[in-house]
This record gives sequence, C-alpha cells and structure tokens, in this order.
Amino acid sequence: MEKFIIDHTEDTPKVVLDAESGLFSIEGRSLPENAVAFYQPIFNWLTSYEENSKNPIAFHFKLEYFNTASSKQITKLLLILQQMAQKITVSIKWYYYKEDADIKASGSRFAKLIKADIDLIPYE
Amino acid sequence: MSSQSKKNSFAFRLFQGMQKDNLSYIYRGIFSQSITDGILSLTESNLDKQGEDSKIKKRVFTIMVEGLQNITRHQETDDDAYVNETGIFIIQDVKSRYYITTGNPILKKNIPNLENQLNKINSLDAEELKLYYKKVLNDNIISDKGGAGLGLIEMARKSGNKLTYDFVELNDTYSYFYLNTEISHNETEPVQSTVNPKKSLENIKEIHKILNSEDIVLIFNGIFNQESLLNLLSIMENQMMEHNLNLKKKVFNIMVEMLQNIVKHGANGKNSGENPGIFFINQKNNSYQLNTGNYILNSKVKELQQKIEYVNSLSMDELNDFYEKSLFNFQIDSSKEAGLGLIELRLKTNRKITYEMTEFNEIFSFFVLQTVVD
Repeated sequence: MEKFIIDHTEDTPKVVLDAESGLFSIEGRSLPENAVAFYQPIFNWLTSYEENSKNPIAFHFKLEYFNTASSKQITKLLLILQQMAQKITVSIKWYYYKEDADIKASGSRFAKLIKADIDLIPYE
Repeated sequence: MSSQSKKNSFAFRLFQGMQKDNLSYIYRGIFSQSITDGILSLTESNLDKQGEDSKIKKRVFTIMVEGLQNITRHQETDDDAYVNETGIFIIQDVKSRYYITTGNPILKKNIPNLENQLNKINSLDAEELKLYYKKVLNDNIISDKGGAGLGLIEMARKSGNKLTYDFVELNDTYSYFYLNTEISHNETEPVQSTVNPKKSLENIKEIHKILNSEDIVLIFNGIFNQESLLNLLSIMENQMMEHNLNLKKKVFNIMVEMLQNIVKHGANGKNSGENPGIFFINQKNNSYQLNTGNYILNSKVKELQQKIEYVNSLSMDELNDFYEKSLFNFQIDSSKEAGLGLIELRLKTNRKITYEMTEFNEIFSFFVLQTVVD
C-alpha cells in the first residue's frame, strides 16, 4: 500500500501512515477550519488498509493541541482503530508533554471511552 | 450578572465605535520581535484579502516596520524612572486609505530633539525629503538610540503625507508619544484627507484611555477567517509567553473555539464575503477575559439562546457526560458543526457562559460572548 504522508502546517498535524514499516502517527496541532475534510482521507486510507492487510498497527498520537472540531474526528479515528483491533493487533500510544494537563486529560478520556488499549505516555 | 451585562454592552459599543472610525485593529502591550512579526503577517493577510495594490501594500509595510521598530527600540530604554505604560499599535482602514498610529512612552528630555526632527521633516516637500534622506544617511549621524531619524523620514516619504504627532505627559520623567501616518494612494501628491488627522489622533487617545482602564491588550475588528485567526493566535501566544503552559493552552483553546465560532456561524452584517466581528482580550494579572461580537441572523437567535441556556444549566458532571455523548453523536458532524464548542467553553473556563443578543435590525442581531480564563 502506498504511504500516506502529509507534513504539518500552522493548523494541521503531520500525518504518517506507513504500512510497510508499520508506523502510524499523527503529530502536532490540529485546528483546521474544516476538520471533516482534513480527516476524511485518513479514514479512507485506514479502511482500505483494513481490507488489505493483516499486519499489526502501532498508532502514535503526539498532539500538542486540537480544537473541538478535531476532537470529534479523532474520536472517529479511534473508533476505526477499535474496530480494526477485533481482527489485528492494534496498539495505541497517546503521548503528552509531562506538564500538559489538557492533552493528558483528553488521553484519559479516550482511554475510558474507546474499547482498545490506549497507553498514556508522558514525554519531556 | 448586571455588571457582566454592562460589560457586554461595552463590547457592542466598542464594536460600533470602531466601525464608525473604521478601526481595523489594535495591539497594546509589550512588543517583541515575534509579536511584531505576527502583527505584520496579520496586516499582510488582510491587505491580500482586500486585494490591495502591491505598491500600496509595500508602503503600508515599510511604514509599519519603521513604526514598530520605533516602539521596540524605545521600550527597552530605561533609567530608573518608573513607567507603567506599554506601547500601542493601531491600523485603521478608512475608504482604502490607511492610518497607522504608534504610541510609546519616551523620556521627556528627548522631546525637543524629536520635535525638531518631526518639524523639519514636515516642512519639506517630496523632493527635499529625498535629498534630506540622503544627507542624513551620508552624515551618518547615529543617535544613541541607534536611529538617525531615518525611520521618520522614510515614514514621511512613503506615506506622501505629513506626520501627525502628539505628546501626553505621564509623569516627571516620561511622556507618551503618539505618531500618526496617513497613507494616500499616490506617493508624491498628498490627497485631500477626508479625516482631520489631528481629530483622528484625538479619537485614538480616547480609545487608548479606554484600553488602559479596561486592561485590553488586543482588539481585532475586521474580517474573521482562518488566516486572521492564526495570526491572532500567534500574537497572543507570544504575548502570553511568560505564563505557565496550562493557562496559555486554556486561553489558546478558548480563543480558537470563540473565533472559529464567528468564522463558521457569524452572519454578514453588510456585504457579501467573510464575517465581520470584533474580538478583544482583557488581561488582569493571571486572568484573561475573552470577548467576541458578531452578527447572527435573528431567525437563529432563539436556537442559540436555548443551546447556551441548556449548557449553562448543567452541573460540571452532567457537562462532562454531555461532552462525551456529543463526542459520539455523529448525527452532528459536519464541516460547520461538531456540537462541542459551547460545552468546551464551559468546561475549560469552569464558569457559566456569559452572552448577550442585541437586535441590530430586522434581519440581524449582534451576539456578544464573553469568557474568563484563569
């Protein structure tokens, strides 16, 4: 499968979906005006991965900030991963800067709501 | 509650007052390099949006850079005398003529020299200014502030107009220096101004007084779109540099939700295009008050009111549940609406949402939203 890579901008995160190396990550800030349009290609890619591959996934969330519009799309992304976890091994890592109470709290909330393992990992 | 609604009316009055004077935006506070950069890109994107002529854009830019440098250069100076005032930057757009005003405290003892320079510059015509610029450049008279009055000459040359200025006494040692530049469309011929520059400076001094008494650090009155939002965020991020991460993030968070609210739901009070509105921030020590004002359709007033009242009626626990329920409610999931913004405002500020609707005409109302972050 072709790699999906978009670089970060001032209001959108860097996204890497790489089937070959098994590296999946979303990193940076997410506050686009139209979050639905930004996340849709990511959902499409994952849906097609689900149909084509049996390889395990490690998905890294290293978000610095996201708006409410993005948080709904992140919920959707996690629900897709939750569904994939029924067939393949999916591990979800949620990174937060150790002093960032906000990102940590969002991670805990998702860990509570999503039926998949989400590891909260502080970084300095 | 009554004091809050008084504040809200203040937001509407401010918006109307600024509309009348066609003020575009104001920054008041410490000027750092990154704040200056933020102000410059905010202007750039606004001029681009208005499809402004590249020659005029360049002149506006040059004058802004010189004016902003003036402020940064002078705020660093200090004897031991105390001065509480910070710099101010204002750009106004009146019938596609631009007015740029800067203000900063200066040492009183420097006034005569500065006034001489200004009078000299104002006495010269375009050709004489050009020669004077060369002369000063050649003479290489570097003042102890690192400038040689070249900035002022450059501002006068690029504006094609006289520089308007004023000094207001602050204390025994300091005065406040206002400098106002009008940019007309033709560099060599000053255009008969529709605004009396002395009078416009008086208005600015009045507004400055209000900003000081209300502790307003940033006002943006103009078109709200994603680009202006990002520029405003970058200015605020730099302005809040010294605060702790979690306060900064909260302000950032609330600011994004409030501004995107205008971008997505604001109505157009006047022409077609993007949404006009006002945004301002008051800062008191470690507490920020964020205010937005924008038009909404009268037909949407009731629905919005009900939404806010509902969110306000919930306890914090209920609010959390409602947030989580809304997160998974994919019935509401469009480019415009995730149904989370208002809940987030209450959760993050830990306060009820303060708002006000004022009927503006048969079609529109003015909607003011206010939050406090600390």
